Amino acid sequence: MVGIVIVCHGEMADGMLDAARMIVGQQEGFVTVSLREADDVESLMERVAAAVDKVDTGDGILILVDVFGASPFNASARLAMQRDNIEVVSGVSLPMLLELAVQRDGQNLSQLVEVAREAGTSGIRTLSETLSKKPV
Amino acid sequence: MPVIHVRMDNRLIHGQILVSWNAEFKIDHIIVTNDKVAADPLQVTLLQAVAPMGARVSVLSIKDCVAYCNGNPQAEKENIFIIAKFPEDGLALVEEGLKMPVLNLGNQAFVRGSKKVSNTVYLTESGVKALKKLHEMGIRITCRMMPPDPDAEYWPALEKTLPEWAK
Repeated sequence: MVGIVIVCHGEMADGMLDAARMIVGQQEGFVTVSLREADDVESLMERVAAAVDKVDTGDGILILVDVFGASPFNASARLAMQRDNIEVVSGVSLPMLLELAVQRDGQNLSQLVEVAREAGTSGIRTLSETLSKKPV
Repeated sequence: MPVIHVRMDNRLIHGQILVSWNAEFKIDHIIVTNDKVAADPLQVTLLQAVAPMGARVSVLSIKDCVAYCNGNPQAEKENIFIIAKFPEDGLALVEEGLKMPVLNLGNQAFVRGSKKVSNTVYLTESGVKALKKLHEMGIRITCRMMPPDPDAEYWPALEKTLPEWAK
């Protein structure tokens, strides 16, 4: 099973996992890493590496981060560039996390990356567009 | 003045830069300068990949950074935001010939031998000594994580917090 690591600023990663638990229940193989104010990228990298090792079953690792180019991304990217079978996806959201939780079993890393991308993108909808859709 | 801001930040390009500082200034060119980072191809590739929209990123040694800013005609046309890693890099930039009225301290994470100045700034003795030299040259030291932070002279606070190194 692909291991999933969530790396975000502040309390966001733990908050997201807590929110996901309310909807899909306790999940195995998800771990979080939080960027604190006094962290540097190197120490964050070490913590991400430890988190990766914790959920690595040999099927690959998907690292979900909040902002492209920010420190959680940079630390994860540096690690992923040095190791095989790790992908980093930015823009983590609750819809993305829920879909990954539901679809994880039996999917490989590249399939899960597409699940994340699709769920993250289609998680953004507006009420007015939804209401103005004509029934088929 | 092509160089609009000089920041020491050991996280280099990250969220605060991409979002807050990039919105504050119209940055055309981010130059990341630190001899070790410039010699690490992996870090160079990654830093260039996270360039914000409308800006380009160069990763240069201290010497090449100053040579570009002082001697390249292209630099005159750009708003350049310089990010170095440590206070020692700031001193090296000045000693190499870069003119900077203000040096801004951004994130300085804990490293071995450093002492806490604030939640986001830990400095080593050599870092404080570098800042002292810069201060004595008449360069204003500020400590702004984000653009709205006060741009008051920060040296007195350093002197007060780490008197054993600042004297």
